[in-house]
Amino acid sequence: MIAGLLLLIMANGLGFFWPKALVQLSLNDGTQVLGQMNAKEMIPYSNTPDAPEGKHRIQLKVGNRDLYGLDFRWIDEDAIQARSYPKDAVFVERREWGNFFGKILEVRKGSTVLASGSQSGWNALQPLVHHANEIHETIQHVETDVIGEINYEMEDIRLQLRGLNLTEHPDDQEKHSLNAQLETLQSIYEKEAETLRTLYDSLRDYSVVFIDANGQAQSLPVGQIIRVLHPNQMPWHEKALVYLSNIWMVLSEEPREANTEGGIFPAIFGTIMMVLMMSIAVVPFGILAAIYLNEYAHQGILVRFVRIAVNNLAGVPSIVFGVFGLGFFVYAVGGTLDTLFFPESLPTPTFGTGGLLWASLTLALMTVPVVIVATEEGLSAVPREYREGSLGLGATKLETLLRVVIPCAMPGILTGLILAISRATGEVAPLMLTGVVKLAPSLPLDSYFPFLHIDRKFMHLGFHIYDVGFQSPNVEAAKPMVYVTTLVLVAIVVILNLTAVALRNRMRRKYSGSTV
Amino acid sequence: MTTFVVRSPGPQNLMASANHSSQAPNIHHSSLNPSPLRRSGTTSRRIRALADRGAAVIVWVGGLATILSIMGIFIYLLLEVVSLFLHSESSEQTSFSIDTTGSNHFDSLAIGIDEYQEIAYVLYQGQLGFYDLATSQLRPSPGMVSVSKTPITAIGRASGRNHHIAMGTQDGRVLFLMVQFRSVFENGVRTIVPSFSMGDPIEIDTDQSPITKIACQPSDEGITIAIVTKAGKIWVAKIEEAGGLLSENETMVRRMELHTPDATTVSTLLLDQLGETLFLGTHDGRLVHWDLQDIENPQLLSTTHIGHTKDSITSLAYLIGDRTIILGTQSGTVSAWMPMHTSNTESGTQLTKVRDFVTHPGAITAISPSKRDKGFVTADDQGHVFLHHSTAAQTILAFHGYESPIQDLVFAPKANGLVTLDAQQQLTRYALDNPHPEITMNTLFTPVLYEGYDQPAHIWQSSSGSDDFEPKFGMWPLIFGTLKGTMYAMLLAVPLAVMGAIYTAMFMSRELRAIVKPVIEIMAALPSVVLGFLAGLWFAPLLEEIFPALLAMSVTIPLSVMAACLGWQYVPKSLQARQRWGLDLVILMIVLVGTISVCLSSNHIIESWWFDGNYKEWLLTVFGFQYDQRNALVISFAMGFAVIPIIFSISEDSLSNVPKHLLSGSLALGATPWQTLTKLVLVSASPGIFSALMIGFGRAVGETMIVLMATGNTPIMEWSIFNGFRTLSANIAVEMPEAPHGGTLYRVLFLAGLLLFTFTFSINTIAEIIRQRLRAKYSQY
Repeated sequence: MIAGLLLLIMANGLGFFWPKALVQLSLNDGTQVLGQMNAKEMIPYSNTPDAPEGKHRIQLKVGNRDLYGLDFRWIDEDAIQARSYPKDAVFVERREWGNFFGKILEVRKGSTVLASGSQSGWNALQPLVHHANEIHETIQHVETDVIGEINYEMEDIRLQLRGLNLTEHPDDQEKHSLNAQLETLQSIYEKEAETLRTLYDSLRDYSVVFIDANGQAQSLPVGQIIRVLHPNQMPWHEKALVYLSNIWMVLSEEPREANTEGGIFPAIFGTIMMVLMMSIAVVPFGILAAIYLNEYAHQGILVRFVRIAVNNLAGVPSIVFGVFGLGFFVYAVGGTLDTLFFPESLPTPTFGTGGLLWASLTLALMTVPVVIVATEEGLSAVPREYREGSLGLGATKLETLLRVVIPCAMPGILTGLILAISRATGEVAPLMLTGVVKLAPSLPLDSYFPFLHIDRKFMHLGFHIYDVGFQSPNVEAAKPMVYVTTLVLVAIVVILNLTAVALRNRMRRKYSGSTV
Repeated sequence: MTTFVVRSPGPQNLMASANHSSQAPNIHHSSLNPSPLRRSGTTSRRIRALADRGAAVIVWVGGLATILSIMGIFIYLLLEVVSLFLHSESSEQTSFSIDTTGSNHFDSLAIGIDEYQEIAYVLYQGQLGFYDLATSQLRPSPGMVSVSKTPITAIGRASGRNHHIAMGTQDGRVLFLMVQFRSVFENGVRTIVPSFSMGDPIEIDTDQSPITKIACQPSDEGITIAIVTKAGKIWVAKIEEAGGLLSENETMVRRMELHTPDATTVSTLLLDQLGETLFLGTHDGRLVHWDLQDIENPQLLSTTHIGHTKDSITSLAYLIGDRTIILGTQSGTVSAWMPMHTSNTESGTQLTKVRDFVTHPGAITAISPSKRDKGFVTADDQGHVFLHHSTAAQTILAFHGYESPIQDLVFAPKANGLVTLDAQQQLTRYALDNPHPEITMNTLFTPVLYEGYDQPAHIWQSSSGSDDFEPKFGMWPLIFGTLKGTMYAMLLAVPLAVMGAIYTAMFMSRELRAIVKPVIEIMAALPSVVLGFLAGLWFAPLLEEIFPALLAMSVTIPLSVMAACLGWQYVPKSLQARQRWGLDLVILMIVLVGTISVCLSSNHIIESWWFDGNYKEWLLTVFGFQYDQRNALVISFAMGFAVIPIIFSISEDSLSNVPKHLLSGSLALGATPWQTLTKLVLVSASPGIFSALMIGFGRAVGETMIVLMATGNTPIMEWSIFNGFRTLSANIAVEMPEAPHGGTLYRVLFLAGLLLFTFTFSINTIAEIIRQRLRAKYSQY
């Protein structure tokens, strides 16, 4: 069952990247349709009771959302007269409106035609698209690095100004110098904005006219195009290359079009950052508590009770921890921090809203019982004789602990940590309350002081699945994206778990070998 | 503490190294104690002892702090919830005498207060005065203003956000007054600037008889007024103006006289916010209902007697939303009335008393509804003021004033204070701290009669688009949903998991078991968001399509499995011996896959044979079940999938922990494996299996993402497996992001969290205790 489930996810997720052939269907009513075959099913009896038995229909991805409004179309097989795979059909990946399927009519600069016809148009288009992508990279650089830095500095100065106004006797001179800095920055900003504008204009210099299967023409600026492919002419090794580059794009790029296209890099990054911070929080406390319970505390009824309670906390629903995190960390602690340390940016909250730090701490709280239980198990599995031997030879309790007990219990501790991480990776419900967003404007790690912004909201793979799969306006088009995200998440979790299992087996083997 | 080097020397080596270190003190430095290498023996020992004690302290403090902070979760949740039920508080803030020459006309005065409770106005004897509540002084501007030269005999205050007041004069004319408060910000400091405007006097009745009662209500189309004159006439009128309410333009008055009830008996008037409904309360305890939608042709809808006694109705008020009427009487009773559906009357509705509140010791003189919620305040002629809440059916607070009849009172616009004026011209302002008036144990856990419903019901509906909405915080639909989802999931998961565990522990070969257990563990680790997504987007549509096949499978699979088992008996012994390599399992798999694929391929045939070609319609007509795509059946599969590994692992553990010598003994005494299983193994492992079920139950109760994604999240209470539900956990996930911090919804959601916490925590504790008992029992053997 597991294998089947994983296969289902993999088939749906990985198949999405393969550049499928474009099929052109001539229908009975004389129209033509061009698209990718998506699914085939028997015509549901319950929908149309008078439909003939045993007939099939095809779901075709027709793309061209700007022309047709819909990405997908069901076509009864009966209605198809002929199928063909036109060699010159192009697959255009765009920045907006999804993909376009059609043929190249002509390439223009302004209103002058540079090249017309399918083949010459194709040849003329390739360098143009390449150039446009370079311009986009420059724009990206200017927008995030240059202008982003200016904005960051300006915001900083504004906050300083507000902070000055909050003090009892604002220093006028300082205010003036800050205002002057603000003005210089403003002028730099305007200059950069001007370059940006020219760059954007240059994207519209060239345009391509495509025609769809029915000959309807659609003109696209080259700047809109990410890639143009001839899927029906490509040999398989080229397809494989495209396939790999597709996978790489998903893993490394930022999302587009309400998260339904583009990549999931920020989500992967956010998940990893959160898990890292959680581990940093959970390890010392979990291990300390376990050592206390197992080695230092008096083993009485109270400790037994505490142990049961800790054990059971692992079974408390995660959403309860989310509620606690929201109430305690975000509102109580975060709100207090804001009034104490960031009064100048109020009422915009700095820590008084969900963020990476609070989400990590909430998950840490949730997974601490897992670590405690696993560590305790590891500690109590260390044979008594080792401790007695070490103490008897004159080592102090600390030395026994650090050099004998903990190294022996290390696999147990690591297992606990890995299980905690794997649980935290897949958890979504508490994060929804404490800092995950569907689209974070920036990564929590960047080149501005203090580099790691623990107050920022972040993206998460699990939440990405929920958001794209259930809250996106175009669920059908978003499905492949959800499957890919799921695949990544499941892969991480399964790998972590297999590591834990392997570690545990190693630990068991070691003891069965040495104690007997 | 945490930066130790990860090494994995064999234990033998460790023994050796410990041995070694005790003899050679020069390698003693721990990571906490990087002391110089060569020291005399005593110093080194002291440092070691010090480090040891230090570490002990750190471990004590850190360990205890961690454990305490975990326990703190419960306390924090409890604290957030407790304030829901804490009593409201109030304090009298200002009380001062307004300067007056003495007036004894109860009806002919009105008071009002601004949103921030800084300024109050008092209208009496034709004079309007603005008082600063902080200084208890008359404000210099606009000060005391005369608004009418002729004596004012009646005053009616319109409901709504603005302060509209209609005054009836001794010579039978109507005057309109509008008071406004503007907030002005200057250098970040807020000041409230009061102002007022007057309209021209309007004549309704030409005989100039003094007006004794008046009610008014402005709406988009004009002002509706109702008056009672001393001459014994009741008039309703609509005043429309071409260019704004209080301008000099031509006004158009359309009026009509009402003949029911007798004008001399009328004691109080009430208009709704649209000015389309008029209620007249009488001295003999009748409530007369007129429909004024067409002002020139008013319709008498009903006359309601409020009780046995001919108690005079002294005060009437609509609660926000204009559905519930609060009625106060001469004898001090306060009750809530709502139109309820009935077949007795022509209009199909009948005004019915739904709630009684705490009775006042004196006659009710004024009622003022809250502009925020379904709360209201009442005052009597003995100086008492009570604060009630309609939905919660409770009287929250009572003040005992100055024993002087209260002439008028107003609830502050933010429902956080109130102002009264008594017969001794004492203006008193009370501050209220009343954050959660609508929450009582009853509103949370018992059926409540909400506005617009005919019967008390459990309903969860926390928010809506409009301001005058009555929030419904019935927890039962959510608790019900939680239990329903859990139950259906357990129905599927328990047999599969327990049977699987029995098979794995008792009959499976060791090699297979070594594969099965880690696979099940990975199954347990699958994130619930993945399961939820697959259930919602892949399985739910699939199930909708293959539902007939699924029904068929529920019959054919057990049959075919049984047939396969019977068939196995006839397989040659030489082949049976290969059981160790799982040949029997392979055959079983082939049979299963075969059955499933046969069922799937005959989906349409089954549907047309059994269900007349359309199972949804068939379900609806035969059983009355509505089939939703995301339903409890989908949940039972998805959540079952999440719960199976937990139940499986724990029961498998407890089954294989049954001591081997008991098993061997039983078999040696001639019992068959089956007898051994039912009579010995299951009995001794039953507490373990029970605790597995409890823990699985706890997991299913708290599961959030699967339910959130694969049900419709509709808070309904129906057991049908074909529709959705909403659980406590999904409800938190859906509504918490929109709940304002510290508000009622926020705290009610905390209550949901607390319920989940206590529920799962106690279930797990029971399971844990059972397991520990079990362990103690078997350690004897």
